[in-house]
Amino acid sequence: MGLAIFIFIDSWLLGAQRESERNLIWYETSSARVLNQQYWEEKDQLPLKYVIENPEAVTDRLQELNIPAAPRIVFGGELIVRENPFEQDGSLPVKIFAIDPEKDNRVFRFNETIKEGRSLKSGEENILMGAWMAEDLGAEIGYPLTILTTTRDGYIQTIDVKIVGIINCPNPVINRSSIFLPLDIADRYLEMHGAITEINLKLPERADADLMASSIEKELGTDFPGLEILSWKTLAGDFVALAGMKQSATRMILFLVFIIVAVGVSNTMLMAIYERFRELGMMRALGMKDSQIRLAFLFESGGIGLIGSVLGILLGTILCFWIINRGIDLTFMSRNMDIGYRIAGISRGAWHPEALVYAFFFGIILSVAVTFFPTRRALKMTITDCLRYQ
Amino acid sequence: MKLATIAARNIMRNKRRSILSITAIAMATMSIVFLFSFLEGMKNDLACNLQTYYTGEIRVRNNNYGKYEYLTPLHLRIEAYEDVLKIIERNNSVKTLSPRIRFPAGIYRNGEIYRALGMGVDFQREKSYQDIESRIIKGRLPETGKKETLLGADLAREIGVTTGDKITILATTMRRGSNAVTLRITGIASFPVESFNKKYLLIPLDRVQKLLRMDGSVTEIIMKLKKGSSSMVSEQLNTALRAAGREELEIKSWKKIPSSYSFIETASSMYNFIALFFFILASSVIINTTMMVIHERRREIGTIGAMGMTGGEIIRLFFIETVFLSTAGSLIGVILGIGVTVPLSITGIHFGKAMEGFSMEISNSIYPALNLKSTALVFVYSVCMASLATLLPSIKAARVKPVEALRNE
Amino acid sequence: MKNILLPILAAFAIPVSVLAISAEDVVRKLEKNTVIKTAWTDGCLLIHDRFGTKKTTFISYSRGADTMLIEFTSVEEEGMKILRTSNEIYLFYPDAEELIRMQGAALKESVLGSDMSYEDMTGDKSLLTSYRATLEGIEEVDGAACYKVNLEAKSSDVPYYREIMWIDKELFIYRQIHKFSRSGKLLKEISINNIRQVSGKNIPFHMVLKDTLKRNSSTEFFINDIKINLHLDPDIFSLEELTW
Repeated sequence: MGLAIFIFIDSWLLGAQRESERNLIWYETSSARVLNQQYWEEKDQLPLKYVIENPEAVTDRLQELNIPAAPRIVFGGELIVRENPFEQDGSLPVKIFAIDPEKDNRVFRFNETIKEGRSLKSGEENILMGAWMAEDLGAEIGYPLTILTTTRDGYIQTIDVKIVGIINCPNPVINRSSIFLPLDIADRYLEMHGAITEINLKLPERADADLMASSIEKELGTDFPGLEILSWKTLAGDFVALAGMKQSATRMILFLVFIIVAVGVSNTMLMAIYERFRELGMMRALGMKDSQIRLAFLFESGGIGLIGSVLGILLGTILCFWIINRGIDLTFMSRNMDIGYRIAGISRGAWHPEALVYAFFFGIILSVAVTFFPTRRALKMTITDCLRYQ
Repeated sequence: MKLATIAARNIMRNKRRSILSITAIAMATMSIVFLFSFLEGMKNDLACNLQTYYTGEIRVRNNNYGKYEYLTPLHLRIEAYEDVLKIIERNNSVKTLSPRIRFPAGIYRNGEIYRALGMGVDFQREKSYQDIESRIIKGRLPETGKKETLLGADLAREIGVTTGDKITILATTMRRGSNAVTLRITGIASFPVESFNKKYLLIPLDRVQKLLRMDGSVTEIIMKLKKGSSSMVSEQLNTALRAAGREELEIKSWKKIPSSYSFIETASSMYNFIALFFFILASSVIINTTMMVIHERRREIGTIGAMGMTGGEIIRLFFIETVFLSTAGSLIGVILGIGVTVPLSITGIHFGKAMEGFSMEISNSIYPALNLKSTALVFVYSVCMASLATLLPSIKAARVKPVEALRNE
Repeated sequence: MKNILLPILAAFAIPVSVLAISAEDVVRKLEKNTVIKTAWTDGCLLIHDRFGTKKTTFISYSRGADTMLIEFTSVEEEGMKILRTSNEIYLFYPDAEELIRMQGAALKESVLGSDMSYEDMTGDKSLLTSYRATLEGIEEVDGAACYKVNLEAKSSDVPYYREIMWIDKELFIYRQIHKFSRSGKLLKEISINNIRQVSGKNIPFHMVLKDTLKRNSSTEFFINDIKINLHLDPDIFSLEELTW
């Protein structure tokens, strides 16, 4: 029982961290990104100067390596809204992601988060807006607005668009200050001539992103010089710092849970053992050797521990299933928070097989350990004392 | 023979078992005590930070400022602010005041303009308002009237400056003109709230007024009240200001300021959630232990039954036993909990660097706060929980015929 | 405007091809007329926005098309100066101990909250080096017949891809300018009123600038007094002088 709870909690907390990681990866950074080498230094300016000129070739190559890739143009601009139909005249600085509606889904998961309206289609001058931004502006589907930005060559440019969908994704950064535009529209208006600012990659979930990033970089390096690949860990520096903190808080909580659980388990075992002192005494009286007795008891407790662990894991797993797939709705909480930790809405658990294994063995070991000492004690006592034990 | 005595003897007889039960209960109780204190500490911290750095306990502003807040409308200000200060100070519940001007500032450095936030403050008052001197990690506070500034530590690091350096800041004046001033950095401070460290420059109030060309005005006055002040203070101030003809000002208690209070609320609900969870966990341990004990002593129950005790008496006996045990356990747990919490409440738990990504206004270190009321509650709860937990199994056990019970191994 | 122009055009019935003058010539004559060797101006700005109107006064010294020093004299801007050289803009404030150089994205900011950006103040080359000019006929603006010249960027060093200028046929000074974004949206509208002759040059004494993306907002430029082709000490336009 105790084990079940331990596993459950561990899974949940880890899930929160994983969730945040996942949010980051699914929505903001992708597992890794291909960039022009000079881009990263000036990334805050969102420069259109440093681009990838031949994205098709690069994506094809990545395809050969079996890595899904999504090209994007990311640029900055101002959103200009008018009193009719918005609440007031205004302008807002925004970050605009121009995505390929077909390819983007290979890497990111935005399609799942469209709250209202529909997704983008190539060729349409429509945008998707983050839910919180929409709320702040009083925006609704169909509202027109103007994006003020500059072309790659430096001409002032305006793009008149309509809101066709509102995204409510678990990543608050996206919800608050981003809009999405079809890639071909951006290419045309920004006069990119086919160039893009980044290609986002999706790597297997538990892979070591940094390692894979550098190996891919080497692969591409010969044919496509001037590019670099950054893993999500670099792309979202503040997240990594935060994860550190969450680790300690998590550990503290886990520790407390651990104590409680350990106490429960040992409690149970100890009581079971003391109950059987008389039995032990009888076995000795009947002539069993000490070592045999010890082994017998240890095995028995090991067995009990095993069964208990298995049951605990099963129970824990079932609970995990629930929390991983359904999750607990925390939306009401995160609206106003600006935690660098990207969680919004549903908090899910995540599979943590290592924890399962640890817990399993721990259960068994603890049972055995807890049996060991009393057994030894019993064996030291005289047989008659044992038998008399109450 | 009194049941209580029997109970006591039972307990003493099987010391090992009793100790186990007590330990389990104690641990559970201790964790909850600590957790509650911790959460309380976090809540306090949050409230304190919000009040010190953002809203005060009560905030005075121009009526229309809020409507255009995102444009930082300096012209929607508090004019002749010193008069307003005098009126407010007449109210006995006011402890300290902080008149401020907030404005977006561009730091011009190496040909680039960094966006930051400027805050004009009266440093003399800030000494008592936010104990600003203790925040200084390098240098000293700027002096009134001088072209000096105090920077948040992270901001200083990001721009690459330190005490003694000069920086030029650009700002839009009240009448939407522009102005710039060069300031010498006299000090660097580390604030408990990360967003302050990252974005703010603190500048003497009169200097800011000159920069923004708004003499005699501020954009807000926030204040802290003495402990135990009534909730009527904002009403009182409102009346006083209206009487003085300052109808363009609005007074808000921090609870009514949407952004800050919702913070606390969301934080509270999150904490309550966590607390509840732990509660359940600890409870399950207590229940588990107690149930096991009863189950284990079935034969004993059978024996006593055979010896003539009534079912009711048996139940009561076990109940009393559990009450004793759980009281002892809870007491120990609570004492341990206090023992852990109190020293921590003085030294605080430091999260340090990890808080950097947070822009929720929690400090780097949290001081767990021991709330006697909730501690007592926890105590009572543990005892009740354990006691109640005995009821079911003991009822069940008592029902079993003595013969059956005796036969069971 | 169109309904008035069409019948007038029809009345004049001057097809473009019959015009003896080319677009380039028009522009050259325009620049010859409007680019002044040196000038001293006493002027003021009226900035209208949703919060009201603000008045700012200044004295400016200019040389050619690319160099100008503006010293603000109104109380609100006291002591502020802007120096514009070939392709740079420097700001001086009395309380700042260094000059602020506006470059990159900062140039897109508006000057004193007006409808004019710092970027709008830059630009030194002749229009013909950066733009391709085509003549689109003659239209009337404010009762005066104007050449309508369409300018399309051919090099990427200008912010507005397309501009349309209505240049007075007789005076060779612009009466109206429209500036467009790359996709053709109208961004800025400039209209010139009150053209007077000073020392043989035609000078606009009143100009209205509108940023069409901002509603209820416009900026007016007035010249109170102007002296041209006077001797100006070149040091006025130096950075050192700026810091005085």
